[in-house]
Amino acid sequence: MKPPVHREQGPATTLPVGSPAAVRAYLRLLARRHRGGFSAVVALHSVATVAGLVGPWVLGSLVESLATGTAEGTIAVAVGWYLLALAVQSAFTGWSRLRGAVLGERVLADLREDFLVRSVALPTGVLERAGTGDLVSRGTTDVDRLDKSIREAVPELAVAVVSLLLVLGALLVTSPLLALTSLVGLPLLLVSSRWYFRRAPTSYRNEAAGYAAVSNVLAETVDAGRTVEALRLGEQRVRLTDRKLGEWLAWERYTLWLRSVWFPTIDTAYTAAVLGTLVLGGLFTLRGWITVGQLTAGVLYAQQLTAPVDLILRWYDELQIGQASLARLVGVREVPEHEGDESARPDGRRVEARDVRFGYREGADVLHGISLDVAPGSRVALVGPSGAGKSTLGRLLAGIYAPGRGSVTLGGAALSRMPAERVRAEVALVNQEHHVFVGTLRDNLRLAAPAADDTELRAALDAVDAGGWAAALPEGLDTEVGSGGTALTPPQAQQLALARLVLADPHTLVLDEATSLLDPRAARHLERSLSRVLEGRTVIAIAHRLHTAHDADVIAVVEGGRISEYGSHPELVAAGGPYAALWRSWRDER
Amino acid sequence: MPLTPLPLADPGRPDLTSPTAFLRWLGRAQRRGQVLATLWALVEMGGQAALPVALGHGVQAAVDGDPAGIWRAGGLAALLAAAAAAGAVLLHRQAVWNWIHAATHVRQLVARQASHLGSGLSRRIATGEVVAVGSGDVERIGWYVELNARVRASVLVWLAVSSVVLLTEPALGIGVLLGVPVLAASMWPLIGPFERRYARQRELGGKAAELAADTVAGLRVLRGIGGEELFLDRYRAASQKVRAAAVRSARISALMQTQEVLLPGLFVVGVTWYGARLAASGELAVGTLIAVYGATAFLASPLRILGEAAHAWSVARVSAGRAVRVLSLSRTSGAAEAALTRPGKADLHDPATGLTARAGELTAVVCGDPDFAGALAERLGGHVPLAEGESEQPSVRLGGTELDAVPLAEARAAVLVHDKDPVLLSGTLAELFDVPGAGRVPAAEALAAARCEDVLEALVDGTPDCGGDAMRARVAERGRSLSGGQRQRLALARALLADPPVLVLDEPTSAVDAHTEERIAAGLHGLRAGRTTVVFATSPLLLDRADRVVLLRDGRAVAAGRHRELMREEPAYRAAVTRDEAQPLGEAV
Repeated sequence: MKPPVHREQGPATTLPVGSPAAVRAYLRLLARRHRGGFSAVVALHSVATVAGLVGPWVLGSLVESLATGTAEGTIAVAVGWYLLALAVQSAFTGWSRLRGAVLGERVLADLREDFLVRSVALPTGVLERAGTGDLVSRGTTDVDRLDKSIREAVPELAVAVVSLLLVLGALLVTSPLLALTSLVGLPLLLVSSRWYFRRAPTSYRNEAAGYAAVSNVLAETVDAGRTVEALRLGEQRVRLTDRKLGEWLAWERYTLWLRSVWFPTIDTAYTAAVLGTLVLGGLFTLRGWITVGQLTAGVLYAQQLTAPVDLILRWYDELQIGQASLARLVGVREVPEHEGDESARPDGRRVEARDVRFGYREGADVLHGISLDVAPGSRVALVGPSGAGKSTLGRLLAGIYAPGRGSVTLGGAALSRMPAERVRAEVALVNQEHHVFVGTLRDNLRLAAPAADDTELRAALDAVDAGGWAAALPEGLDTEVGSGGTALTPPQAQQLALARLVLADPHTLVLDEATSLLDPRAARHLERSLSRVLEGRTVIAIAHRLHTAHDADVIAVVEGGRISEYGSHPELVAAGGPYAALWRSWRDER
Repeated sequence: MPLTPLPLADPGRPDLTSPTAFLRWLGRAQRRGQVLATLWALVEMGGQAALPVALGHGVQAAVDGDPAGIWRAGGLAALLAAAAAAGAVLLHRQAVWNWIHAATHVRQLVARQASHLGSGLSRRIATGEVVAVGSGDVERIGWYVELNARVRASVLVWLAVSSVVLLTEPALGIGVLLGVPVLAASMWPLIGPFERRYARQRELGGKAAELAADTVAGLRVLRGIGGEELFLDRYRAASQKVRAAAVRSARISALMQTQEVLLPGLFVVGVTWYGARLAASGELAVGTLIAVYGATAFLASPLRILGEAAHAWSVARVSAGRAVRVLSLSRTSGAAEAALTRPGKADLHDPATGLTARAGELTAVVCGDPDFAGALAERLGGHVPLAEGESEQPSVRLGGTELDAVPLAEARAAVLVHDKDPVLLSGTLAELFDVPGAGRVPAAEALAAARCEDVLEALVDGTPDCGGDAMRARVAERGRSLSGGQRQRLALARALLADPPVLVLDEPTSAVDAHTEERIAAGLHGLRAGRTTVVFATSPLLLDRADRVVLLRDGRAVAAGRHRELMREEPAYRAAVTRDEAQPLGEAV
């Protein structure tokens, strides 16, 4: 059977994936951190396994004595030993599992916390370019997969390896000959498992992705209920769901086929081990090379080999999947940290762009030689059609990207060379992305000013016209907002973003369509309130509404990556260029 | 054995009288699979249960010094093992497929329900709940349905082993017969507390994962303005809570594992002790003792299946309840049998506000209250799903016919309401544009009218493997990779492409810059020439392009005419349009 053709695509991988060496290094680090816990689990489990080996041995000696007719009196002793061993085995099994779980949970907590610590230190330029989709998928899907690997696979595997070694040891002690016969199935096991594990991991990944794809289609259908109904897409969504189900099922069939081949062969290998021991051992007994007791114990031990080998095989692919996820988590550590140049200190607040050229890809510049001089305390409006490069210019002026050629400086020092913490104390960017964090309204504001008290927080909300609705929330500043809490409307979220800006209080602000989601009247009012609070700050506003341009000291019209018109509103209107024409049609002064 | 082809051509109508009835209905829908799985489970467990008999024979033959007996026993064991292995793989295939069958079946039902309810669904039930049924709950339902077959086989095997032992040695047989249910029941007291602690652990885990996803999703904000430490501390606290909860549930699960070793172990010791005494007194052959020991030890596996079933039942019932709740929702609409004649040539009239949109014209509506405008836009399409406590308003009429009296599908085909927040469904651009009605308006024209040039570029840039073909470029879920203005324009292009007889647009360019808005206004007017279009707008750039503008005040249409006329002659209109919006700051103060 050939693997299905269709493969679901996850979010594009935009951040590096850890190399095998990096993954190994990280695993060594974890192993060092948790050495004590791991040794304890292995030790406890060894005791449990050794105790578990007593049963067959007791039975073997019992059979031996029964066969030789010397059983009188030995039965009670044997059963006594058996009971003792059982008590030890069950107690230590429980104990070792508990220690294993405690260890697993520690490792997991370390992994997810380490990942987040690394993530929040990523340079802003990397985040802007890579987007957060890949990172979110690592923080959720990959952490979740590792959860399963570490919570179950690692302890089960450790336990299985210990069991396997001890059972083999017991076999050797019972009879080295029988230990040899129990290996009869090994070649078959190795060959078929090798075949299986070459195909299994990617197939299971595709299968899981296919399953998730069906859920996603369903979630979208529900989420977009109104759109689906308005555009009459219902039938189409049903067909799409069935198609995605078909694609998932194709992978399910394929993995089922893989197991249909592999399971019988490993079963055969296990049976060969037990039967080989039984038949050959029986013949050895007849020759007098081993005793009946040894044979009994040997056969039972050979049977006991099956369980740990099966566990190892069963968890092996889980471990491979876990390893791939770990590589993605570790990959975040490989993003080079932004090495800020401590000596780059601004002298003054003048923002200057000199002949700036910039492109996201090699040979495809978005900005073609832009020069802009922003005087401290002035208000500059960037206007122009979509795709002209306004937002890109805004990000360069906020120090998020470094210009390809030319320079962007604040007080004479290159913005892109300054450490991120220094840049954001001077310049802040607010864009259309209006993220409301899960947590209280207070948490959402205090991230900009951890030391701010409630009076300051309320003042900031008032400054962005949000005082009213914020006070009307059921628990005021303590109201839980964000996903799962009280839902804020997009305009409210945008006001929240601006309130953070007021609290952070940098001297230069880049506002990229920061009020675009508010209805025009509210936007207008907010901008007025904000301008009172921001008195004396330098404001660079990218705006789609012309009144913002009208209110600015200087307007730069950006078209095709160049500044096509530049001057104050009256100057531009007087010049009679494209800006003036647009303004007139907007004001009905034609 | 061939497996039933899936997905099903027709998932049928489920029995929704109770969660249990629903689970039974799912089981009946795969009767053949259930019978086969039971059969294979019997073969597998039967082979396993009988294997110790062969081993016993082998040891007995060794004791008796009988080489032929050893070979015979080996042969028998090989046969039994082969049967068990064959049964195991056939059972695995069938059981997995039964699970998949049930899960697929429920997912197909839920998908049909979601498509059928459309906008009515999210008003009645949380989105998350429907999604939970479609992903997590179907797994548990499938597990329970599949397990039924294995439970039946386990009970049969237990009865069979007991009767065989009963026939050879009555006292031992009774022990085995009664011991299994007693042991199975002894596992149950711990299941409840474990479930509760595990549910708590899952809940905290979900919260921590959400916190991580949320922090990462908002990372650009954090990096731009600060607060990383605050959020890290918060996450660490949540993560440690998960750890503590997981350790608490691990305590019970460790106890359960202890029990799982101890209780069957005691049972085996008891049987062995009794059997050994019989063997010592010569009443039982040594080989038989080994067979009894092995068979008793084997009973641990049907025992585990019974324990699993108790667990599966407790979770599947809850999941099935949720599924029944989602599948039972219905969209009530009165007798809708009226028919529309030539919807493109009829005026659209709303009796509640007195608003009329003339056939074939571009009508703009100016309304001071954006929420009122949104509700009115929705009503213009007819068949508004009511939330609880809402009362019905008189229906909008298209050419004299009440839209509410027309079948839903026909009403939607006649009037397309493009709301403030239309959702971009993920997929390629070609898939996004594959809407009923598409084809009359060329995609290139719709894209040009909505000024989507830079959107196409952004999509192509974001899809390295589309080979520069925008139609093969991928749109992310809800268009997340695009800016607000880009999303709005792409959604507008899709609405234009659907080319409905009547198109109602609610603030279609609110997030678009003035330069682009002016071009869109021109494109919209050109592309919809001769078709009925209603646009709710505040921007003079859009209003100026309308054939007719209607002013609403206090919920009534109070004036109508061309934009310029109204600006000159209607002070109320002038105030509504220029108030704040176009009036420069300097003049206002």
